[in-house]
Amino acid sequence: MKILTLIRQVPDAEARVRVTNGAVDLEGATLVMDGMDEYGVEQALRLREGGADAEIVALAVGPRRNEDALRTALAMGADRAVHVETDAVLDPISLSKVVARIAQTEGIDLVLVGGQQADWDSQALGAATAERLGWPQLTWTNGLQVQDGALTGRHDVDEGNETFTATLPAVVTTQQGLNEPRYPTLPNIMKAKKKELRKDTLDQYGVTPLVRVVGAEIQARARMNRVIDGKDPQAAAAQLLELLRNEAKVIA
Amino acid sequence: MTATQDQAAQDQTKGRLIRGGGFLIQESAPQDIYTPEDFDDTLRQIADTTETFVDREIMPVITDLENKKEGLNRALLQKAGELGLTAVEIPEEYDGLDLPKAASVIIAEKTSKAGGFGVTYGAHQSIGSLPTVYFGTPEQKAKYLPKLATAEMIAAYCLTEPSSGSDAQAAKTTAVLSEDGTHYVLNGSKMWISNGGIADLFTVFAQLKTPEGNKFSAFLVERAFEGVSTGAEEHKMGIRSSSTVVLRLDGVKVPVENLLGGVGAGAKIAFNILNVGRYKLGAGGVGGAKDALELSTKYALEREQFGQPIANFGAVQEKLANIAVRTYAVESALYRIVGLIDAAIAGGTDKLKAIEEYAVEASIIKVLGSELLDYAVDEGVQIHGGVGYSQEYAIERAYRDARINRIFEGTNEINRLLIPSMLLKRAMKGELPLMQAAQKLQAELLEFSFDEDDTETPLAHEAKVIANLKKLGLLVAGAAAMKYGPQIESRQEILMRVADIAMLAFASESALLRTRKLGSPELQVEMTQVYTYEAAEKAATLAREALGMIAEGDDLRVMLSAVKRFTKHDAVNTIRLRRHVTKAVLESRGYPAPRARA
Ligand SMILES: Cc1cc2nc3c(=O)[nH]c(=O)nc-3n(C[C@H](O)[C@H](O)[C@H](O)COP(=O)(O)OP(=O)(O)OC[C@H]3O[C@@H](n4cnc5c(N)ncnc54)[C@H](O)[C@@H]3O)c2cc1C
Repeated sequence: MKILTLIRQVPDAEARVRVTNGAVDLEGATLVMDGMDEYGVEQALRLREGGADAEIVALAVGPRRNEDALRTALAMGADRAVHVETDAVLDPISLSKVVARIAQTEGIDLVLVGGQQADWDSQALGAATAERLGWPQLTWTNGLQVQDGALTGRHDVDEGNETFTATLPAVVTTQQGLNEPRYPTLPNIMKAKKKELRKDTLDQYGVTPLVRVVGAEIQARARMNRVIDGKDPQAAAAQLLELLRNEAKVIA
Repeated sequence: MTATQDQAAQDQTKGRLIRGGGFLIQESAPQDIYTPEDFDDTLRQIADTTETFVDREIMPVITDLENKKEGLNRALLQKAGELGLTAVEIPEEYDGLDLPKAASVIIAEKTSKAGGFGVTYGAHQSIGSLPTVYFGTPEQKAKYLPKLATAEMIAAYCLTEPSSGSDAQAAKTTAVLSEDGTHYVLNGSKMWISNGGIADLFTVFAQLKTPEGNKFSAFLVERAFEGVSTGAEEHKMGIRSSSTVVLRLDGVKVPVENLLGGVGAGAKIAFNILNVGRYKLGAGGVGGAKDALELSTKYALEREQFGQPIANFGAVQEKLANIAVRTYAVESALYRIVGLIDAAIAGGTDKLKAIEEYAVEASIIKVLGSELLDYAVDEGVQIHGGVGYSQEYAIERAYRDARINRIFEGTNEINRLLIPSMLLKRAMKGELPLMQAAQKLQAELLEFSFDEDDTETPLAHEAKVIANLKKLGLLVAGAAAMKYGPQIESRQEILMRVADIAMLAFASESALLRTRKLGSPELQVEMTQVYTYEAAEKAATLAREALGMIAEGDDLRVMLSAVKRFTKHDAVNTIRLRRHVTKAVLESRGYPAPRARA
């Protein structure tokens, strides 16, 4: 079987981002593979290690620097990579067109994508891709196996979980808890240098963005800077309780 | 191999690249130096893997590690082995990765925040394994390297003894060839052996008794050999997770095939391996300083006094800026040297020769890195106030862990003394035209200088200040050599000052070249300016003190006016510059790394 795992590159959640000229300044930011997509890469590897005879293809659609994320996927163990290089920012619906096309031309059986984008929070990509392909979509997956051409898996909700089976081909979206992604070993980093990383252009897919981002702002978190005078501990405690109850409304 | 390194390799073979110690009398161009911004994606991935390993595997268990939980140290080193981190400098034919030195330096930088574990790793991978890598016979390599590459076997380096530390060659441990000629018998004890408690293979230095007298030699000693034993763990100030013990050799029979590098190769092995240890220790200093800066910046932003974050106070801000500025300069110097070594190797120079070529710089990096780190953790504790003194906070451990770096791998005094002495030796051997440069300088002193300031190029003024700093170093060294001749060796106070001036010149120049290579972004220009002006001020004092001892009367007056000329610089508002730097530090929540060029 062939597994396609989609990778997006997003700013590191722990690093600070800056906004310059109405857009998030990605040139100066630390960029990493979207954590949700990393679960996908890891799960593909685990399916193969669990006995599935799978070829794993990593796909990224975006600017040149996305190559770093693809190299990481290759170093984790993906067999080859496809990079549709473009400086255009694609909304999920446009992006799904590229993903679906590649799934078809590559003869993919299983598409793995993150359940939710770490940067713009969209959950649409998996659904849109499945819709274009007419394949089943399984969302928010916490467990996934492949057996005899069929998928079985589980997804957790707050109140419990449900298990499912589906036939391949299918689109699966991942979420936290599916696995703990590995990080590449040095020998695999070196081996990855020799793996195929194919470059395509966006023109080949006839896709143009449907949505254009025209501005971005970072929310300034202002502090109230209220200091409670602690000279009288009793009074201070009472005042704190009062504030927590009536102003912050965090206790009843 | 990056494009820059390839280019550098070509330059090296063409003889265009600067030689060891050459920085003092030659200029380099920005494109000639290697910088962290030149890392290729492989090196960036290696950095990421190391960082993830430390954050996921080491930091969560650091308290257990520090409390010496049985077996944990070995298990984690072997985990590092699974990732390939212990194979980086081992040749491919012995299951290693044989990566460029830059990779090993990045790993040293990234493991240092784990304190003692960084030492465990370095003692194994670096000083423990490299003697066999560089001096082993094919049989020795085949026997030990594959196991060292995975850390299935853990290594230690055993030079120091109770009565010989800095004076390492005065070791008393003896080796005697058995009558049947099949083995050596070793007797003696080694002290302060890092990894001693967990190691399986010890590189032991000893006096081999021969009819021609003692020959200082090295031996590969397995723990399993009869008569090998190790003592209890030392109770140390810091790096407590690192095992440090006494190694006792009691009539240990070492097979003749375990003599390393031949009879009498001990000193050569010991010092060549220390060269490697030195630049890596400097790398650890850079990594540790970044960590201390991050911890301190975050704390300064959180902690409020007088109704506002302490990060708002100028006194605190200045400390953050100083740590950042010094880190930038030392980091620039570090990767500049690693780049030169890698370029030499890529150009076909034997690895060990390439490393030895830059021995002066390795000592410089050792001193700069360890003192940067001590400065950073000391001010880090200060920024933390009372909690900095509490074991609850990471900066407390960082402070204790840092201190050892000025002591091992050659104390900073020994390394400082080595700098002028190695330079002089290279000059004597005709490898470095120092004397000619000093003579030219003498002539220049008698001329008036009419040099005009270039106001167009960024940092042009600083470049001139740095060129003058080098001249200042030559002036003091030349005057001292003239006055004392070979007796200079007993004028250590002067040698230390010469070393300091050379280090300041080297670090400022490295910062300047890197900044220019980056295209002179504002923040890096400011950091270079602060470092350079500080360097000029410090160097002026150092030179005056040294010359005050060397000369008197009119001679002294002439020289002091030269000092004035060589340390002259425009009036600058370094306090304002530091404030800008702090802004960047606060914004990045730590070290404001330059953006790599696209
Ligand atoms: C935690 C730890 C781990 C270590 N790990 C190892 C290891 O793995 N393997 C190993 O072989 N060794 C190891 N060492 C030993 C270390 O390298 C020595 O401690 C160091 O070389 C200094 O030697 P010393 O302690 O005998 O000090 P000394 O040589 O006695 O020095 C004492 C002081 O005198 C100064 N001094 C000495 N000679 C001169 C001189 N000629 N001119 C000017 N000043 C001088 C020194 O700079 C120092 O300030 C370790 C030490 C420690 C503490």
